[in-house]
Amino acid sequence: MDFPILAVLILLPATAAVIIALLPERRSEVILPVGVALSMLPVGLAGYLFFAFEKGEAGFQFVEKVAWYEPWGISWHLGVDGISLLLVVLTTILVPISLAASTAITDRLRMFVAMVLVLEAGLIGVFLSLDLFLFFVFFEVILIPMYFIIGIWGSERRIYAAVKFFIFTAFGSALMLAGIIAMALMHGDQTGQISFNYIDLLQLSMSSNTELWLFGAFALAFAIKVPLFPLHTWLPDAHVEAPTAGSVLLAGVLLKLGTYGLLRFNLPLFPEASVELVPVLAVVAVIGIIYGAIVAIVQPDLKKLVAYSSVSHLGFIVLGIFALTSQGLQGGVIQMVNHGITTGALFLLVGMIYERRHTKKIADFGGLARVMPVFAGIFLFTSFASIGLPGLNGFIGEFLVLLGSYTTLQPYAIIAAFGVVLAAVYLLWAYERVFTGPVTKPENEKLPDLGFREIAIMVPLIALMLFLGLYPKPALDRIAPSTERVLDRIEQVADFDVPEPGRLDDVFSGEAP
Amino acid sequence: MSDLVNVSYLAVGPEILLTLGAVLVLMIDVFRQPSARVHAWIVAATILAATVVTWFQWDRVTGEGPFLAFSDMVVIDEYGVIASFILLLVGALGLAVAWGMVERLGRRGAEGIVLVFMAIAGFQFMAVSANLVMMFMGLEIASISLYVLAGITRERPEADEAALKYFLLGSFASAVFIYGVALAFAGTGGVSVYDIGAFLRGSVLLKPGVLLIGMALLITGLAFKLSAAPFHVWAPDTYQGSPAGIVGFMAAGAKVGAFAGLGRIVITAFPLYEAEWAVGLAILATISIATGTLLAIAQSDIRRLLAYSGVAHAGFILTGLTAGEAGMPAVWFYLAVYTVQLIGAFAVVAAVAGPTAAGSPMSDYEGLSRRSPFLAAVLALFMLAMSGVPLTAGFVGKFGAFAVAWRADFEWLVIVALVASVAGFFFYLRVIVLMYMREPAVAEAPGTMRARLEPVGALRWVLIISTAITLAFGIYPTPLLDLLSTALPF
Repeated sequence: MDFPILAVLILLPATAAVIIALLPERRSEVILPVGVALSMLPVGLAGYLFFAFEKGEAGFQFVEKVAWYEPWGISWHLGVDGISLLLVVLTTILVPISLAASTAITDRLRMFVAMVLVLEAGLIGVFLSLDLFLFFVFFEVILIPMYFIIGIWGSERRIYAAVKFFIFTAFGSALMLAGIIAMALMHGDQTGQISFNYIDLLQLSMSSNTELWLFGAFALAFAIKVPLFPLHTWLPDAHVEAPTAGSVLLAGVLLKLGTYGLLRFNLPLFPEASVELVPVLAVVAVIGIIYGAIVAIVQPDLKKLVAYSSVSHLGFIVLGIFALTSQGLQGGVIQMVNHGITTGALFLLVGMIYERRHTKKIADFGGLARVMPVFAGIFLFTSFASIGLPGLNGFIGEFLVLLGSYTTLQPYAIIAAFGVVLAAVYLLWAYERVFTGPVTKPENEKLPDLGFREIAIMVPLIALMLFLGLYPKPALDRIAPSTERVLDRIEQVADFDVPEPGRLDDVFSGEAP
Repeated sequence: MSDLVNVSYLAVGPEILLTLGAVLVLMIDVFRQPSARVHAWIVAATILAATVVTWFQWDRVTGEGPFLAFSDMVVIDEYGVIASFILLLVGALGLAVAWGMVERLGRRGAEGIVLVFMAIAGFQFMAVSANLVMMFMGLEIASISLYVLAGITRERPEADEAALKYFLLGSFASAVFIYGVALAFAGTGGVSVYDIGAFLRGSVLLKPGVLLIGMALLITGLAFKLSAAPFHVWAPDTYQGSPAGIVGFMAAGAKVGAFAGLGRIVITAFPLYEAEWAVGLAILATISIATGTLLAIAQSDIRRLLAYSGVAHAGFILTGLTAGEAGMPAVWFYLAVYTVQLIGAFAVVAAVAGPTAAGSPMSDYEGLSRRSPFLAAVLALFMLAMSGVPLTAGFVGKFGAFAVAWRADFEWLVIVALVASVAGFFFYLRVIVLMYMREPAVAEAPGTMRARLEPVGALRWVLIISTAITLAFGIYPTPLLDLLSTALPF
């Protein structure tokens, strides 16, 4: 057997968590540096994975499969393809960054770092699982560390937010578990062997009615996670109450589990239901885009503003996925990564100003650009990336999504385009109120600008925003074959043809997938 | 199935050894009052010897197949032997948790050991009896032992109340059960589960009313013991009032014994009425799950919370039993790991409240993670395991029970159970919130409440073992699932 790189990628953070837990609590000054150092190891491994990944290959690579419990058809089955690859890389990058940004945490630091690392192991596990049982295990397990992160180290209403987060998402996944059991047993009826294997379950034949029910069970779980309007109410609470590292990982990666699940499971497993339900998903996606943006405009709190902007951005991703075109799917995947980078960066910046002033209220600031020029510059740059200024990463994703959805979902795409305008309104208006003009409050006059550590935290993210914005080809080359395969499957199984411009070869690479 | 008095000491070996151990403890106690250390040695030797004999039984049934003994009163099959193993484990862990109580009560502590031994033996008889009268004997031996255990700290009025409630409702349940035996006999002319099964296969009952009522009464009688709603009202009061050290054993042992009896009756005696009893069990499960979950949310004492969660768990296990024989391995897995979690959780309760205390208000748990990181961490784990979070054995247990029920076309029940599992997070997480997200209450007398709290001796080992079992079978359940896959009634 080859080197089990994917298993190691999951076990590395888990082992790191154990090591951290064994460090003496007295030596609290070494815990964070050791945690950051240990969490750099998965970054290296994920980097290797990124370059070792075969570009033209649509299927799963580095596959590992070991039986867990044969009679139930459960196995430790991992694999990576173009859809999951970048999300794994993103996860590994965001963890050391969010740990390095957690110097404000002093209480029970050891447990905090261990929880973040356990969370990382779970997140990577979700993206790599090819067995639905295993997927569910990871999908549920990540709730525990996140629950503790919000509940112990969050701000005032942390307990309410933690419990709400937990119950909302657990409810969705409970019904998904029923769906997973039903599918595995259906496989047992059809072939004689119960199986939770994703590849096996693709072969199931089911009545369109069953397919609709199962689609619903899965979609509900993922829609809560995304979150789609009107299931989003847990998100502002969780984001606002969570500590900075929690918000970064929540927005950066946890929300992507929803969109990833829709793309990985709903589209290929239930192609007919997917095609049938495109209008429903498109409507909630567009509502999310516009609603999230409008609510973000009126937020008096910076962190809440960023939280609602996530609702809007995630709506774009869902719209791209259910456009069912090459550009839409690719745009959806790349936008998942982009949103992780830019929103993660925004939460880090809000965290930095909060550590200085212990407030996140926009009204408490004003004229900060004079006092903290570096901070202001980075904030503006990140806002541009989030809005989707050409040349930065957000543009690539939003452009592809709009291009792809214009082909099949024209009216929706037109409405969604206003979301881009609204994004400029809420972010730039917030920038104006916080940074421009004279310094209005005396407390703000002596604020120190970003230090070396804080700049070092932001540099990798800024580099990624620029790189993906100027040269997205390495990313798109890896994504495209896998998203094309999803479309192939839908066209084969579900009496559906992607309209002509929607299956153009990859617009940016010019290579046939 | 011969008519001979087929004596086999192997068949009742564990029960004989437990009885001998009980007699030994009593006799020594009459002549001289030994130290707790001597008692500990006797307990360890007895449980070990009983386990070894049970192992011989296992060896025999897996090698030569199941066998009947004592005029077919007793059947030794994988089903019964597995139950015996689980009961011995529950007994050993339960006694270790209760050890603080045994030491503190002096001479009466020795009686506690005797009663636990008798209770284990009684429950084992329930699991291996092939005859309803024999099963009733086991039920009574165990129940009477538990009534006395509930009130063993008799100077505390709460314990007396707990014991009396348990006794009154428990006796009523026993009466219901024995009336069920009578009606089953009236309907079929037999009291052996095999005779009843054979009679029903051989003849068609035109009016099965009496028999069905008998079956329902048998299920009802056992439902009392496993605290399934609506027959659960004794549980919260009894759990709350009994001495902290022994509640875990009382709760866990009764569940194993009652489920072993219930499974054997419905599967072996009434396979032809599976359609009827499966629906009956499904209804019982629904009521238990709903009642247990909803009432647990409103509790302010952790023991009452665990009692109501136990009602819900009875419902989840019943969910697995609706699949009949096919569901039995899942039921066993659930029972094995749930009872361990239950004893572990009550071990924490005993450590926090003291071994003989009655009542454990939730406020005692505020900020527990600061007073004792170890106790808080293991209790958090048991709460997560009971709520069914993956990578704990609790998840595998629930998953198995739900999967077999879904396969038996009880989809609606599985969906109810899944939704209730999510609602269950409300109260399980509340315990974690108290321990981790609130600061310790400021004690009125400084230094009493905020003192660090560490479990010592046997209690510590119980916590380590139950944590290890909960995690190990959560991450890699395959060996236990394989072992249990053939644990079906003969």
